[in-house]
Amino acid sequence: MNELFAVFLGMVLINNFILVRFLGLCPFFGVSKQLNSAISMGVAVTFVMAVSSLATWLIRHYILIPLDIEYMNIVIFILVIATLVQIIELFIKKTNLGLYFSFGIYLPLITTNCAVLGITLINTNQDYSLSGSLVAALGGGLGFTLVLAMMSGIREKLEMANTPKSMKGLPIAFITAALLGLAFVGFSGII
Amino acid sequence: MGNGKFAKEFAKGIILANPVFVLALGLCPTLAISTSIDNALGMTLAVLIVLLGSNIIIALIRNFVPNITRIPIFIVIIATLVTVVNLIFHAYLPATYEALGIFLPLIVVNCIILGRAEAFASKNPVASSIADALGITVGFMLALLMISFIRQVLGTGGLSVFGHDLFTLPGLRDHPIAIFILPYGAFLVIGLLMGLFRRTGVMKNE
Amino acid sequence: MPAKKSSTLKNAFPIILLTIVVTVCVSILTFVDSLTRDKISAQEDEAVKALLSEMFPGMSHFEYQDEIYTIYADGDQIGYAFLAVGNGYGGDINILVGLEDETTIKGITIASQSETPGLGTRIAEPAFTDQFAGLAISDVSLSRDGGQIDAITSSTISSSAVVEAVSQTAMEKVKQLKENQ
Repeated sequence: MNELFAVFLGMVLINNFILVRFLGLCPFFGVSKQLNSAISMGVAVTFVMAVSSLATWLIRHYILIPLDIEYMNIVIFILVIATLVQIIELFIKKTNLGLYFSFGIYLPLITTNCAVLGITLINTNQDYSLSGSLVAALGGGLGFTLVLAMMSGIREKLEMANTPKSMKGLPIAFITAALLGLAFVGFSGII
Repeated sequence: MGNGKFAKEFAKGIILANPVFVLALGLCPTLAISTSIDNALGMTLAVLIVLLGSNIIIALIRNFVPNITRIPIFIVIIATLVTVVNLIFHAYLPATYEALGIFLPLIVVNCIILGRAEAFASKNPVASSIADALGITVGFMLALLMISFIRQVLGTGGLSVFGHDLFTLPGLRDHPIAIFILPYGAFLVIGLLMGLFRRTGVMKNE
Repeated sequence: MPAKKSSTLKNAFPIILLTIVVTVCVSILTFVDSLTRDKISAQEDEAVKALLSEMFPGMSHFEYQDEIYTIYADGDQIGYAFLAVGNGYGGDINILVGLEDETTIKGITIASQSETPGLGTRIAEPAFTDQFAGLAISDVSLSRDGGQIDAITSSTISSSAVVEAVSQTAMEKVKQLKENQ
């Protein structure tokens, strides 16, 4: 239990997906302009990360390892993720249209979000148990959402600020991310 | 196709459509592995093989692939190429394989690869697709080398490439500016470089 | 009928094509795997052997059982080695630990790590690892905790991860060795 908590906390605050591991940067700079869309995106990514971790763990332990074809993991994992994203999108569209419009539109983007493939590969490399994989996925997703939301809040304010012309947009967003990352260093002593 | 067009497709990727500084694609590996020139070169080699392979294959089959299965087929092809590169690096370049870590398999979801497949190779003949792949890779490499150089020199106080010490900066060696080699330094360096390129007019604003 | 048949064929074409692509890809991967598999495992064996013979210069061969390497020099047993895993700043740190006998550390080598380059990675440098050589297992702790090991400046997490992994795993393995005798 203690170890799972350490994994979780480490994923959220210390080895943050965006700031330290550099996973999921494309949506980070693309979507993080508005708080609402950032949170919706974060929730969608977290959900897909958790479901993918579960599915790939089962596939790895019950198919890939017994058949000794672990080298296929990249191909299989990305196909599983793409399929899952399609199913989830269809399911949400059919059952809850409001939900679909609030975050379903981000789903197609998630297949190529490296945070999702990243968590499945981290689970594999670290050889986490099933519960460990799930906790890591939820922690990673929460850390992703947290930073995405903070960043969008800052960027909303930055729009109003008097930024030099050549630094407007992406460059200043990168500098902001650097400062945010430095602030997160403070958490590194926790575990 | 004339040499002129080949050269044009090639040159475009280096500055005007630089994948990192202008298009802001492939940021995850760029930031993560730009801690040393060695890693930058290893990553460039991996991306070169995958991008060249996927651009050639996709340009060859572009007329047979129906729209509905286009993306799944592209993904399978790219994932296969990435796995091949992974296995080869693991067997013959173990140090680079270790250093690149999960960013080697993550080339699958690198927006540069799928982006070029979608935007270029699926619409153009093989020769231009090769030029496109080479140009984009050189652009990617230059960006990576530039960022890695700054980070390695300032962050470790010297430059060593594949075990050869090229130079050390006396004062910095003992007291390197550690932030540059830390993850946060990556954001700082790329943000400042991007701003600098825009300010000097080398690259245009979005 | 022929018209209908051809339209069925047309509908099925994407699926057939996808199947062909997947089959080709899987065959290529199986082929490349068969080419590289021996090389990869040989690489890993070589790496272990190189690390061990660097740590025990007189080593002639070693035996591997129950996660402990027993090192021999021409029939004489000259030590043990095992892998310790530290929970570092950037993930697992794999440390190869050598024991001279059941109380003394022969030396340690960082086999793989993903610490912060330039800071945490300095745990792999001799300036840090050499401190372990010849220490009694009970003395393996950071100097701030009253031990013999000086942590690397500004890389306390990485340093203490190594120290903790070495001392804990060494104690476990010694216990295991004594039980086996």
